[in-house]
Amino acid sequence: MVEIEIDGNIVKANPGEMLIAVTDRESISVPRFCYHKKLSIAANCRMCLVDVEGAPKAQPACSTPIAEGMKIHTRNEKAKASQKAVMEFLLINHPLDCPICDQGGECELQDVAMEYGSDVSRFSEGKRIVGDSDIGALIQTDMTRCIHCTRCIRFGTEVAGIMEMGATGRGEDLKIEPFLTEGIQSELSGNMIDVCPVGALTSKPFRYELRTWQMNAVSNVARHDLVGSNIYTQTYKGKVKRIVARDNESVNETWISDRDRFSYEGLSHENRLLTPQIKVAGKWQEAEWNVALDFAIRGLANNVFNSHQSDQLGALASNTASLEEFHLLQKILREVGSENIDHRLNVKDHNNTISLESNIKLSGLEGIDHALIIGSNLRLEQPMINHRLRKATLAGATVDVVNVMAFDFNYRLNSENIVAPNQTAATLAGVLKSILQSNHKEIPDYLNEVEISDTAAQLADQLLQSENSVIVLGEHLINNPQASSVANLVSEIANQTNSTTLNVTATGNSMAANLAGFVPGKGGLDVNAMLDADLKAYILLDVYPHYDFHNSIKAIDALNSNDTFVISLNSFKDEAVSEYSDVMLPIASFYETPSSHVNVEGAVQSYSAAVSAPSDAKPAWKVLKVLADLLELPGFHYSNCAQVTSEVSHQRQKQRVNEESVDLTVKRGINVIWQKSPYAIDALLRHSASLQDTKIGQLNNASMNKATAKKLELEKGDEYLGIPVIVNDTVANNCVFVNANHSTQIGGHL
Amino acid sequence: MNEVCFKNLDQENPWSLATYEANGGYSVWKKILKGEFTPEQIIAELKTSGLRGRGGAGFPTGLKWSFMPRNADMQKYVVCNSDEGEPGTCKDRDILRYNPHSVIEGMAIGGFVMNATVGYNYIRGEFMEPFYRFEDALKEAYDAGLLGENIDGSSVSFDLYSHLGAGAYICGEETALLESLEGKKGQPRFKPPFPANIGLYGKPTTINNTESFASVPDILAQGGQWFADIGVENSGGCKLFSVTGHVNQPANFEVPMGIPFKDLLEMAGGIREGRKLKAVIPGGSSTPVLTAEAAMAMTMDYDGIEKAGSMLGAGSVIIMDDSTCMVAALTRLAHFYYDESCGQCTPCREGTGWLYRVLKRIMDGNGKANDIDLLLGVQDNILGNTICALGDAAAMPVESFLRNFREEFEYYIEHGKSMVENNG
Amino acid sequence: MISDQAKKQIEAWVAKYPKGQQSSAVMEALKIVQAENDNMLTSETIQAVADYLDMPGIAADEVATFYENYNHKPVGKYTIRFCHNISCMLNGADDLIVHLENKLGVKTGEVTPNGLINVKKVECLGACVGAPMFQIGDQYYENLTADKIDEIVDGLQ
Ligand SMILES: Cc1cc2nc3c(=O)[nH]c(=O)nc-3n(C[C@H](O)[C@H](O)[C@H](O)COP(=O)(O)O)c2cc1C
Ligand code: SF4
Ligand code: FES
Repeated sequence: MVEIEIDGNIVKANPGEMLIAVTDRESISVPRFCYHKKLSIAANCRMCLVDVEGAPKAQPACSTPIAEGMKIHTRNEKAKASQKAVMEFLLINHPLDCPICDQGGECELQDVAMEYGSDVSRFSEGKRIVGDSDIGALIQTDMTRCIHCTRCIRFGTEVAGIMEMGATGRGEDLKIEPFLTEGIQSELSGNMIDVCPVGALTSKPFRYELRTWQMNAVSNVARHDLVGSNIYTQTYKGKVKRIVARDNESVNETWISDRDRFSYEGLSHENRLLTPQIKVAGKWQEAEWNVALDFAIRGLANNVFNSHQSDQLGALASNTASLEEFHLLQKILREVGSENIDHRLNVKDHNNTISLESNIKLSGLEGIDHALIIGSNLRLEQPMINHRLRKATLAGATVDVVNVMAFDFNYRLNSENIVAPNQTAATLAGVLKSILQSNHKEIPDYLNEVEISDTAAQLADQLLQSENSVIVLGEHLINNPQASSVANLVSEIANQTNSTTLNVTATGNSMAANLAGFVPGKGGLDVNAMLDADLKAYILLDVYPHYDFHNSIKAIDALNSNDTFVISLNSFKDEAVSEYSDVMLPIASFYETPSSHVNVEGAVQSYSAAVSAPSDAKPAWKVLKVLADLLELPGFHYSNCAQVTSEVSHQRQKQRVNEESVDLTVKRGINVIWQKSPYAIDALLRHSASLQDTKIGQLNNASMNKATAKKLELEKGDEYLGIPVIVNDTVANNCVFVNANHSTQIGGHL
Repeated sequence: MNEVCFKNLDQENPWSLATYEANGGYSVWKKILKGEFTPEQIIAELKTSGLRGRGGAGFPTGLKWSFMPRNADMQKYVVCNSDEGEPGTCKDRDILRYNPHSVIEGMAIGGFVMNATVGYNYIRGEFMEPFYRFEDALKEAYDAGLLGENIDGSSVSFDLYSHLGAGAYICGEETALLESLEGKKGQPRFKPPFPANIGLYGKPTTINNTESFASVPDILAQGGQWFADIGVENSGGCKLFSVTGHVNQPANFEVPMGIPFKDLLEMAGGIREGRKLKAVIPGGSSTPVLTAEAAMAMTMDYDGIEKAGSMLGAGSVIIMDDSTCMVAALTRLAHFYYDESCGQCTPCREGTGWLYRVLKRIMDGNGKANDIDLLLGVQDNILGNTICALGDAAAMPVESFLRNFREEFEYYIEHGKSMVENNG
Repeated sequence: MISDQAKKQIEAWVAKYPKGQQSSAVMEALKIVQAENDNMLTSETIQAVADYLDMPGIAADEVATFYENYNHKPVGKYTIRFCHNISCMLNGADDLIVHLENKLGVKTGEVTPNGLINVKKVECLGACVGAPMFQIGDQYYENLTADKIDEIVDGLQ
């Protein structure tokens, strides 16, 4: 630390840090446009010029390193004159159309201009007008307002990892634009809106809606992935109007994914379920809440309780529910004596599940020196986790990947190994054996026959060489015929190499479901077993069968069974739901109810409702509480949601350790890996029109290599189970990778 | 005259290796290869010589070379700036055409001194004839075993390549040049860090002008003191001056620093018949313009020109006689900077266009009474506030033209036409 | 889109730069590709160069639009690049440009109807001692007069 003087005050600072970091820390306001604490320094706007004693010219605070004894004036005549000069230059070609600009009220230029701009313009030449091109569904451009700070370009190259925006031309004609008009592709693109200091890049869905000062902002947490990014939900007259990032260094830093930013659009979709409905003699009728709830209770009594068959009741929930909702629903089930509880709807074989604990912090991911990613298109699955890994790679970390095909990573991979799912376990067994050999450890019997491929040896070497590695298990593992073996092998490999592990196989709020114990207990049935057992009654929490189940056809059949009474709590209408349900209860969606998200670190983040649910829809935690009361169950005396939260959040999450031995037999046949588009993983996302309109939202294809296509007698343009075929020679042999929105067609084919 | 960069100018095939060697070329380099010269000695000689950078800023070359972290354990680079684009400047082109080996030897020596084993000569894209000459010379040098790895069994290695620009004046600015060499658009980097620490591909790099490099071999062959004695205090040696404009014999002259301007004018054949000297831009379009009186009293060295109110710059002497409309001349220069601004920093991007438009308006007969104050205000707001010196370069002519020839501007604004009759 | 011949030329440039710095060759690569595509660049050719050098398309586009020697609109077989900067101006360049325009029957920026020639006013080409001057292809023509211009232009075909 050295001492410097700023505006006459002695301030401590680190030698070499930039002056603006010091003034920001000391709350001394220095105007700036190009500087952004998370981006590289460009020093191009020149707004931050200050007077450094001894320097003949004013110096930019953003790029002037601190040295002992510096004397700085941020607002003396010289500094002010430079700042005013720059402000005038910025404004001469700026349209000054604040009254019709979406940034009005939150525009950095407007704010600074108030202080530094002179009101009489000396500029009497014609202003520059810049044409706009359509850059996609999420970002609206108005480039005449652009002040060329290049924050958006730097965001792309430095954070999103793809250079999409650039500055073309030169001089006065310099234009910030993307190349070709395919639109912006990044899964983090919306952050450009946040970093743009003016109204050049604004939210397309939000366009012309409102001014910031008209809105309320509620601190919320996004629920679409395992991070729980912190956001502000901005509302107006009871409606969510926009979502922007909220800083939280340990969670999402300053960024949020497009998925978290734009999903709110679904809240006002016409498909919202708005009133309770009951099915009488095969016909739906709208009903008052008390009538509908009575109807539900009577149905349960008739089908289950009156005959003392509590084990005929099942509860299923999708991974979108809140911690409190998971907790209350499992509590009801357990109080009435049923252990038939499950949220792992998309798992094929519950004897083959993934039990692997994550034991690394999000921020810790930045400090790793090596990552082994298995079965994941991580960028699209967990954008913010991928971002942390990308930062690690920029600092020198290496990344190896084992995947069914090549995906578009936004960092350099050390090796990309294409391995069919049915050989993943064998490959990892080779890795483990190689590691054990290197460590001069005894080789257990089950590895005796295993051969160590070059790939395995290389992967093992990397793990052995690194000091701080992480092994990431991704979503594709869910479809793996040997998922549990893979997880067990990974756990052992991590043990042997002191690696940490990160399990992102299930997303959304799945960690909350685990924490709440929303899985079958002793004697209970898992989802597939329930469907097979033809249970007499179900309570379903925000379940959409076409999307959520591994085998949707079988699930819908089972739920449609004549003597099954189904109570559905849903936030959106759904045809299949209305077919198999007997009662439909409209519930609040994200941001409409107090709730908690549990992220991959196990951090419970609670937040209150930003708006209330539309029409008759009610927060599910309340509905479940009332249901419990009507069932006269003890222990449901909650007067607010926070009481539920505190009851559950102290629980220690237990992983069910899979005792099964490792299975290394290679299962023959075509392997199909099916992954939902990242913008289709929950109902809210599926109803966000803008997200669906993006390249990512429209992912809908079945990739296979030439040989596999030939075997299946398909070619490009054909359909595989109704999904367009893409021939891509990076796909492992005998595998089909399907990236599509729902599972209906795939049905029982996995 | 013509003692260093141009010393073989009047010989046959001055550009050939044979001619160069016949005049003592590569003797210094060979000494180095034999281990008879140390980097410290070379830097000391250069400091003694008083050689200052010929690219415009006039920074002492010996001092610059001593800044390189020569012992740092990483690749280092030397880069020659042959982007020559400053209006009025055309000396480097002739060095490349007529004495390319002096540049090669100078760069090789620099490489040795700074422990940089790779060099690039950045040649402006339009200079195809000089480029081919330079390439031929490179080939000769490689064939003669003067370049490459462990040259002639020594432990000295130096590889040299040429790189072509593609039309952008700003790439003459050294950090823009580095960006361009890296395959990007030529936008200057802010400093610090300086190229000596983080330069080409992020590695320590030294950049010098063509003439600076070309002067080095002779300085070392004949001694720093010899060179210093040619010139005057603070301005060692001789320098190439490109005398252009309204003179009878425009040409490049290599003359001792400190010669009177009027002698130089005479060498260039003087002012055209029947005309009178009106104004002189002594160092290239970026340097302030001088009146005839100030110019005639000036000596051609750093201090002499500064005393007269301008700068030596790249030694590009633009002569204007009394047929010149100063409004038109300034408008043309303003257009140049407007056209060539890279666009990244606000004052230059917005200010150069503003200056040009106001001047253009005056030229079109639509000048306003307060336009002179406006021009002065705008140039002052650019001055000192930009990332690189192009901003200053655009501002300074405006200030000096208005200061020295204000009445011409007032007249034009008032009458909508030039004060100079039958100008041209 | 990039001929084998062009690829060979590009490779010769790539070889000058350190491994992994192949994008240093982008300026020359764009020129080479422009030369074999009617002296003009399009989004497609720029993207092709970017792909070939393994750099983002927009980065190549930035270069292609920053430097003056790339064309984005149709030009003639010969572009006469006429310097109109200070030294040339002082030596009568403006009148000579008008002379050339009249002779060709097109203004600067336009292409002669037979597609042969277009005239472009450019900034200083670094040959001020030979003012007035222009450039055609690789070659400089200096100390121009109206007669000399006529002769040079008449020789173009
Ligand atoms: C706008 C601008 C253009 C420049 N153009 C050139 C040039 O064409 N040639 C050159 O040698 N230096 C040019 N310079 C100066 C270089 O930045 C740098 O100072 C010089 O190459 C250093 O070499 P020297 O020390 O040998 O002079 C320019 C500077 C600026 C700001
Ligand atoms: S002064 Fe002009 S040329 Fe220099 S960096 Fe700024 S905008 Fe670019
Ligand atoms: S914030 Fe410092 S120059 Fe832009």
